Amino acid sequence: MQTLRGTKFAIFLGLFPALIIYLGIAIVPIGLSLYYSLMNWNGIGSMSFAGLDNYVKILSDDTFWLSVKNNVIIMVTGLVGQIPLGLLLALLLNRGLKGSGIFRTIGFMPVVISSVMVSLIWGMVYNTEYGFLNSLLGMIGLDGWQQNWLGDSKWSMLSISIAYIWQNCGLYMVIFLAALQNIPEEVNEAAELDGATGLKRTLRITIPMVRGTIMVGVVYSISNSFRVFDLIQILTGGGPAHQTEVMTIYMYNSAFINMRYGYGSAVSILVLLFSLIVISLINRLGREKDA
Amino acid sequence: MRRKSGLFQFFAYTFLSLFAIINIVPLFWMVVNSFKKEQEYAADPFSFPKVLQFSNYAKAWEVANMNVYFLNSLIVTFVSLLVTVLLGALAAYFLSRFKFKLQGMTYGLFLLGMLVPIHATLIPIFLIMQKLHLLDTYWSLILPYTAFHLSLTVFILEGFMRGFPKDLEESGVMDGAGVYRIFWSIILPITRPALATVIILNFIYNWNEYLFALVLITSTELKTLPLGLANFVGIETASLTLQMAALTIALIPILIFYLLLQKQLVNGMTAGAVKG
Repeated sequence: MQTLRGTKFAIFLGLFPALIIYLGIAIVPIGLSLYYSLMNWNGIGSMSFAGLDNYVKILSDDTFWLSVKNNVIIMVTGLVGQIPLGLLLALLLNRGLKGSGIFRTIGFMPVVISSVMVSLIWGMVYNTEYGFLNSLLGMIGLDGWQQNWLGDSKWSMLSISIAYIWQNCGLYMVIFLAALQNIPEEVNEAAELDGATGLKRTLRITIPMVRGTIMVGVVYSISNSFRVFDLIQILTGGGPAHQTEVMTIYMYNSAFINMRYGYGSAVSILVLLFSLIVISLINRLGREKDA
Repeated sequence: MRRKSGLFQFFAYTFLSLFAIINIVPLFWMVVNSFKKEQEYAADPFSFPKVLQFSNYAKAWEVANMNVYFLNSLIVTFVSLLVTVLLGALAAYFLSRFKFKLQGMTYGLFLLGMLVPIHATLIPIFLIMQKLHLLDTYWSLILPYTAFHLSLTVFILEGFMRGFPKDLEESGVMDGAGVYRIFWSIILPITRPALATVIILNFIYNWNEYLFALVLITSTELKTLPLGLANFVGIETASLTLQMAALTIALIPILIFYLLLQKQLVNGMTAGAVKG
């Protein structure tokens, strides 16, 4: 598509500003993170080479493993909560029921609201003294069920997980719905002729037809689960006593509360590494099933 | 059309309604209570307010510095959006309408950004901003917002521009228009639909962003809405109704925005998720 000649300089000039900002702020920092992670540095004094010290320290810190465990909980919440629920909602909305549009609008709403707002609203729902949930339980005479939803480590991860599902399941609903609507009508007609109806058709034909999209949803949900920060930072701050801390919060605390930049960088590299490993495992699993 | 049994419809509607209720009730409950006196709320969090306490709103607007946060969010959001879309469109133009060395690589490089998690860059970005003396300024947010949304912007715009017929620029070339003239007066105008999508996406992502703001902004006068709200709620723990009023103030514009531009938002955010 050589439409114009002698435009090398113009091309360079056009790409340069975008590239410089993008490389300088989104790409180079990853390399810097890797570099800092090998350093011992508190941001004020001088940097000293620490080798893999930071990594060794992190991997032998129980709090870190607690945060890994919580990340796993969030990941599983996404996989067994958001994905099936999103798929079920999409399947229902795909049946051409009246009013589907309204349900879709309402379902997607939490995705558009900022995670800060979602967290603050759920903080009010879970508020121990005056919150929605405890007040509701009190009103229907279930005072005994009232809990310190966020402050009691028995309940806090569950409470967070429910808010997490609430926040994101509309996104998966819409992703799956788009895929379902792309299934050619002939497929459904052929299924009908073969006598496949109702649940059987859904399980044998409809769901396999959108398997690719479900895989995309799974991968997205997993990578999202490693990025979770706002929701937990605002709801509990990782507390009580690190019980709801995830890796990103652990990283934030190491770097910006305790001013251990090298250590924090090492955590961020580990988060990246973990998510890459899990996602490539999932991709491989998905491909094996294809074969 | 497919057959629908009555029983299926009944269960489908029950389930969907339950889902809708769960989605709406927390917001509705908050908005209703934001109009109550604190004592009224404490006495019964499920009643409707006897008198609508608009004073909660006046007070929340005042105490929570809402005017400052709104203004900051508007500035940061719009400047980032403008820079991102302009630079992104320019890059997309050269990537889609020209052939040059390293073209594929440059495009691939841009796409890579969609996989980069923000937190893996957070510490270096903080330190870079500190070095450049940009910490705690609008620029400390505008630059990362731009950098991280260029990928999706270039991706969407490049895909759109690539579809234009090859001879589109020819009339411009014959008129002796330069490369940039063609970009500005031929390509950009017909890219409008895709521009609308990326503008809406950039707006919502920038408007809602929290983590960068948390790390890079410390002065109250520069805080964006999400950061300011989170702070306010953390401090103003005594009055839940005041918190609710502040949250409602922040919620209403975004709900209107969503209802007006629902189609583009849903399609754009879904595409963003799937491609990323």
